[in-house]
Amino acid sequence: MSTHTTQVNIRLEYVKTIGLTTNNTGRGFVNPYDTAVSQDGRIFVLNHSDSARRAMMRVGICSWDEEYLGEFGKGAGTGDDQFNSPVAMAFDSQDRLYITDELHHRITIFDSSGNFLNKWNASGSGPGEFNGPAGIAIDGQDHVYVADQHNSRIQKFNADGSFITQWGEAGSGRGQFNLPWGVAVDSQGDVYVADWRNDRIQKFSPDGDYKASFGEPGEGDGQFYRPSGVAVDPEGYVYVADWGNERVQVMAPDGSFQLNLRGQATLSKWAEDFMAVNPDEHRTREMANLIPNLPPHLNTPHHISSQTEPYFWGPVSVTLDREGRLYVTEANRHRIQVYQKK
Amino acid sequence: MSNPDIELMAHLMRRAGFGATRDELEEWVAKGYEAVVEELLYPTDPQNLPDDIIRRYHTEQAELRLADGAAGYWMYRMITTRCPLEEKLALFWHGLLATAYNKLNQAMALLNQIDTFRRHGLGSFSNLLVEVSKDPAMIIWLDNHDNHKDAINENYGRELLELFSMGIGNYTEQDVKECARAFTGWTLGNVEYMAMRASRDSIWPYSRIAWHFEYRDYDHDDGEKTFLGETGRFNGEDIVAIIARQESTAQFVSARLFQFFAADEVDEDGEKVIEEMVRSYFDSGQEIRSILRTLFNSEYFKSEKVRFARVKGPVELVVGAVRLAGSYRTPTQGIEQVARQALYMGQGLLQPPSVEGWHEGIEWVDSGALVERVNFVAHEMANVRNPGVRRIIERLAAENGGVLSPEALVDHCLELLGPMVVSDDTRSALVRYAAHEGELVLTGHQPEDESEQRVGELLRLATATREFQLA
Repeated sequence: MSTHTTQVNIRLEYVKTIGLTTNNTGRGFVNPYDTAVSQDGRIFVLNHSDSARRAMMRVGICSWDEEYLGEFGKGAGTGDDQFNSPVAMAFDSQDRLYITDELHHRITIFDSSGNFLNKWNASGSGPGEFNGPAGIAIDGQDHVYVADQHNSRIQKFNADGSFITQWGEAGSGRGQFNLPWGVAVDSQGDVYVADWRNDRIQKFSPDGDYKASFGEPGEGDGQFYRPSGVAVDPEGYVYVADWGNERVQVMAPDGSFQLNLRGQATLSKWAEDFMAVNPDEHRTREMANLIPNLPPHLNTPHHISSQTEPYFWGPVSVTLDREGRLYVTEANRHRIQVYQKK
Repeated sequence: MSNPDIELMAHLMRRAGFGATRDELEEWVAKGYEAVVEELLYPTDPQNLPDDIIRRYHTEQAELRLADGAAGYWMYRMITTRCPLEEKLALFWHGLLATAYNKLNQAMALLNQIDTFRRHGLGSFSNLLVEVSKDPAMIIWLDNHDNHKDAINENYGRELLELFSMGIGNYTEQDVKECARAFTGWTLGNVEYMAMRASRDSIWPYSRIAWHFEYRDYDHDDGEKTFLGETGRFNGEDIVAIIARQESTAQFVSARLFQFFAADEVDEDGEKVIEEMVRSYFDSGQEIRSILRTLFNSEYFKSEKVRFARVKGPVELVVGAVRLAGSYRTPTQGIEQVARQALYMGQGLLQPPSVEGWHEGIEWVDSGALVERVNFVAHEMANVRNPGVRRIIERLAAENGGVLSPEALVDHCLELLGPMVVSDDTRSALVRYAAHEGELVLTGHQPEDESEQRVGELLRLATATREFQLA
């Protein structure tokens, strides 16, 4: 239905959906922006929420079997374990979780039980300072890469926060950025940046030397509209959260187009629980066509996704776990669709 | 100092838009009045804050789950557009074809309706009414989803005739019934599920699902109908075409546009303008653009007596102040509070109190609302960090080497804020205030220094006057 395969090199099979809307704390997600999986397989979900519902900002934890395990970093604020506009997160080799906050201009580090460990919070444009840190990625040697969006650069740090290097400037040429968002590192240590407003993915060496660029503006195969997230699997396949096109694209290691995912969400366990106690709502839902035909003026990706519940809506990030599972985090649908690489 | 062309252009921009800065006015004046009217009537490139930027930094405006987020989104559009009439007219239609969040629990459907006003608001009134009849928010709001072939619901049919077109006294109860019959089968996709979710304000399992129109042929009464003296197997489009041909409809639309854009009360001279507008309606094939062209180019509209004769609506006031101050032009936490301020003043975007919209004119100003109005504007205009206020300071600093007597300071500020025409008493009070600290010296001024703060304080006081409340 929504999986369009142009070559046979890679196949992704839909597994399930995790999540549920909530307007409270506890089980459920609130505009999730990113997902990270700890070494023991627990799923950490960054609930970005919004300025009018700041009390619901938090990191929620659940198991693969969708048991809600708890949460931390609750409520917006300036405290060490609080956020203002959290964007992305990544685990290091010690299972420490690094979370960016684009309005606090800081990186906050927690252990995998949610205890605050440390923060890097120099605001500015000098080395090691931030102006709107967005995406974050950590390589096998625990080097930390941060997309410093308003400074139009990538910064590289050691795990202790000591500055190593930086690259990039504002623009649309090679090695330049326009509001960069997601970052990923492949098994060779090369760095991939979702160069959001340039509608492309740029690839760099670990030291920041430009290596390649994938994509151009558009809605076609291999084109992007405001890509926000990127992930690379051990074989070098590149997964892109093509946020503005409300889809996920997969590229081969050489950047050639492989396939698109449009989303095919089903009821999560939590959603099934809701339906079980609201049988009349469930009955009318069963009668509904959740993939409707729309009038022409509503045929934009954003409108289509707003009307088509199974499709991705606001797919901000893509995350891979050790099992080759792909987690697509959808901010506007408060859920994660999971695919398995075959 | 006063320039009649600037004053006339300022008047046009207050009415057809949300006011304009001095720099903008000078740009418009260089194009000429009638050319500007045409530019306003043909919006092409609004250059508003782009959707991608809004959605990246405002999750609530990406998801559009609640009215606050949707109102914030529209606020950005009104604040940053370079096609102000498009938004002002959308606001007009939102008040006339009023639909509110509280029954729908579906903010995106409301924003889609506002977009329908943008797409069709200047075109044929007949087309606009057809689109509004197909609008999912309107369908739920006036229960047309409960209007069935074998059991009609008259609510939409009645309001279409009474509040949206001809006005009471121009049709019979039988016409209402026949009108309702013609709109049977006009509903939305998955209506059973969507209506249940709306009634329960359900956001589960995965947030709202937006709405789209669906025509159910099997639920449409295709039988013969007699409506306003005409007989046929009318469907909704036929009914709208008959309505749009009526003299009473032309009168109704022209009068409402006149009251919104020209004067709260219609006097004898105003009646003549409305007659001209009605003629334009029929001559142009019911085109709203033509009616407005007639109005804006009329001597009546340009005359002194119409200026500052309307009370600014809360949204007009708030958007106008923010545009003048130059704030909220980029993603800013708290934009939803700007929309809320208009709500506290009595005009919640996407939340009109009833199908009748808002009661406008002097009713906007009660003592509570007045305090909110004055405080909001004063807060924006006294903030010397705001880019628009900084621009005013720059222009003042360029006058007479930046040295201004109290009188000169007051007169220049009033000029740059409008130009505002104030009473002698108001001007004297402002001069007395400015004179407390004598001559203002802006020579070598630094951001937020004492001289700049003095300008900010005078702007605060000048925009707290009665005159600033009027358009």
